Amino acid sequence: MKYLIAEDERELQHSIATYLSHDANVCETASDYHEASEKLEMYEYDVVMLDINLVTGSGLDLLKKLKKQHKKCGVIIISANSSLDNKLEGLDLGADDYITKPFHLAELNSRIKAVLRRGQFGGSDSITFHEIRMDTLARSAYVNDKPITLTRKEYDLLLFFITNQGRVLSKAIIAEHLWGDDSDMLYNFDFIYVHINNLRKKLTIEGAKYIQTTYGSGYKFIAD
Amino acid sequence: MILSAIILFLYTKMLLKDQIEEELYSNKDRLEKLLIKDQSITGIPPIMMVEKVDHAEIIKLKDTLIYDPLQDEIELFEQLSETKIINGQHFRITVRAMVIESEDILFAIVFTFIGIILLTFFFLFYLNKSRNEKLWRPFFKNLDKLKTFSIKSNEPLNFEDSEILEFHELNNEMESLTVKIQKDYRNLKQFTEDVSHEMQTPLAILQVKIETLMNDVNISEEQFNNFSSFQVDISRLKQLNKKLIILAKIDNNQFSTTETISINKLLQESIANFVELAGVDIQLEASNEMNVIMDNSLAIILCNNLLSNAVKHNKDSNQIIVKIENSIMHITNSGDEALSHPDQLFDRFYKESKKSDSTGLGLSIVKKICNYYGFAPSYNFCENEHQHNFQIDFNPQVLNNF
Repeated sequence: MKYLIAEDERELQHSIATYLSHDANVCETASDYHEASEKLEMYEYDVVMLDINLVTGSGLDLLKKLKKQHKKCGVIIISANSSLDNKLEGLDLGADDYITKPFHLAELNSRIKAVLRRGQFGGSDSITFHEIRMDTLARSAYVNDKPITLTRKEYDLLLFFITNQGRVLSKAIIAEHLWGDDSDMLYNFDFIYVHINNLRKKLTIEGAKYIQTTYGSGYKFIAD
Repeated sequence: MILSAIILFLYTKMLLKDQIEEELYSNKDRLEKLLIKDQSITGIPPIMMVEKVDHAEIIKLKDTLIYDPLQDEIELFEQLSETKIINGQHFRITVRAMVIESEDILFAIVFTFIGIILLTFFFLFYLNKSRNEKLWRPFFKNLDKLKTFSIKSNEPLNFEDSEILEFHELNNEMESLTVKIQKDYRNLKQFTEDVSHEMQTPLAILQVKIETLMNDVNISEEQFNNFSSFQVDISRLKQLNKKLIILAKIDNNQFSTTETISINKLLQESIANFVELAGVDIQLEASNEMNVIMDNSLAIILCNNLLSNAVKHNKDSNQIIVKIENSIMHITNSGDEALSHPDQLFDRFYKESKKSDSTGLGLSIVKKICNYYGFAPSYNFCENEHQHNFQIDFNPQVLNNF
């Protein structure tokens, strides 16, 4: 997949690019409005990450431009402003998702994958990891084509693990993903262990032992 | 006043005395002339009297008391007597005039003075009153305006101008003061929001770098645990920021979209999420459907904050009960004892317990949302059942009347 990261903070840009290029993706970066505008005109991307506040212009203007040119790429807006108005404006203009700073790279990655799945941008409704298959339309999971019963949160967790396979996920990242942004309960981690353990049990029974504990308190979804 | 009354009294008395004396002398002269013509006259007693005497007497002026049979009282008379030799015979001519008594003069003066004083007093009183009313009217109008002054309002106070220099100056000062206060308040509010927004980017860089480091193969378990706890702290900062922004936005009236929200539905979804994620026992007992007109995101925040507060402070994983009755939502969780400062419960950064997983802003946001829409939030502790109860009366914004 080919991504464009239009973000004026170099540090952020670099970290995102490093994280995303792990899965053999191509990541290009743009540090200001003009660079981003030029690159968008010259090349095709699968997903574009647009910071609303680019130093020399607004990411929303770039989005308008993109939509005028009928480019077939997914757009995720990155903003430091969590206000609903901004979010709605972005989504109304045709953005596929909206993520507020600060975010976890794993969260951004899972949003990108979701955009790719939903759209015509080269994704599909089904995700396969070895013997595990997930149908994102029906929200169901199979191991060796045998359906496994998961609760909503276990399903979300499995999807999150598979999209961020091979990456270390700390409890804070998982908690934030499961609770969503609006929760006041993010610091209660005990419940995560319960959900992860339940999911692990259900997978292990079917012979899929991919959830590994790393560094004592982190998790990693990986095939040995 | 008293001094002038005394002077006036003495002066009047002197004038009268002079006048009487003059009159007496002229009467005596007239009587003398008559006497020269006709020695038989005896005068009109007691005012004028002519008597034959043996020897000459000196001219004499004195006060005398004489009984006046007409008025049946003793009156004070001024008396002038002189002897004259007419045709070799001594005659004593006595003329008298009734004197106005000092008391009468004094009484007249005092009475007149009191009359004048009273008249002046009433006149000045009403004159002043009407004049003052006119003068102070702008002042009181401005005072009323000042009483209704709201620091949060964007409208500057327009004071009524006055012709009086002091009031004019006061108005100018008050006007510039209130404008400045409002401006400072707006700046302060904007500052909170701006700072919170500006903090998001460095926080994002921090968070992303930590995640990159965590995925680095060469870290130890201890390092991972440190990074992991950094993430938790960043999350807390992020939540704190977010809540400060919400508070600032409510202050700035930035939640102007309103729609009909079904509190029942919202609670059901919220509770399902809490039950599934945190494994708590929450019971929803709704005796009626409650639809409230408000902003959707604020409604979610309101319910979530109250629920998470109940979950956080719930004792022994007892059942949490959420009730909807008429226009009131009750949320009840069990606890050991009543709060030590229930009046500060809804204040910013008030924490009853030293639990670190609380920003101390959740309930102050609840209060702010309630104030914004005119809902009535309240709290009480039920001693018998050891339960904390939170109630929100959605009344002004409730749509249907059951």
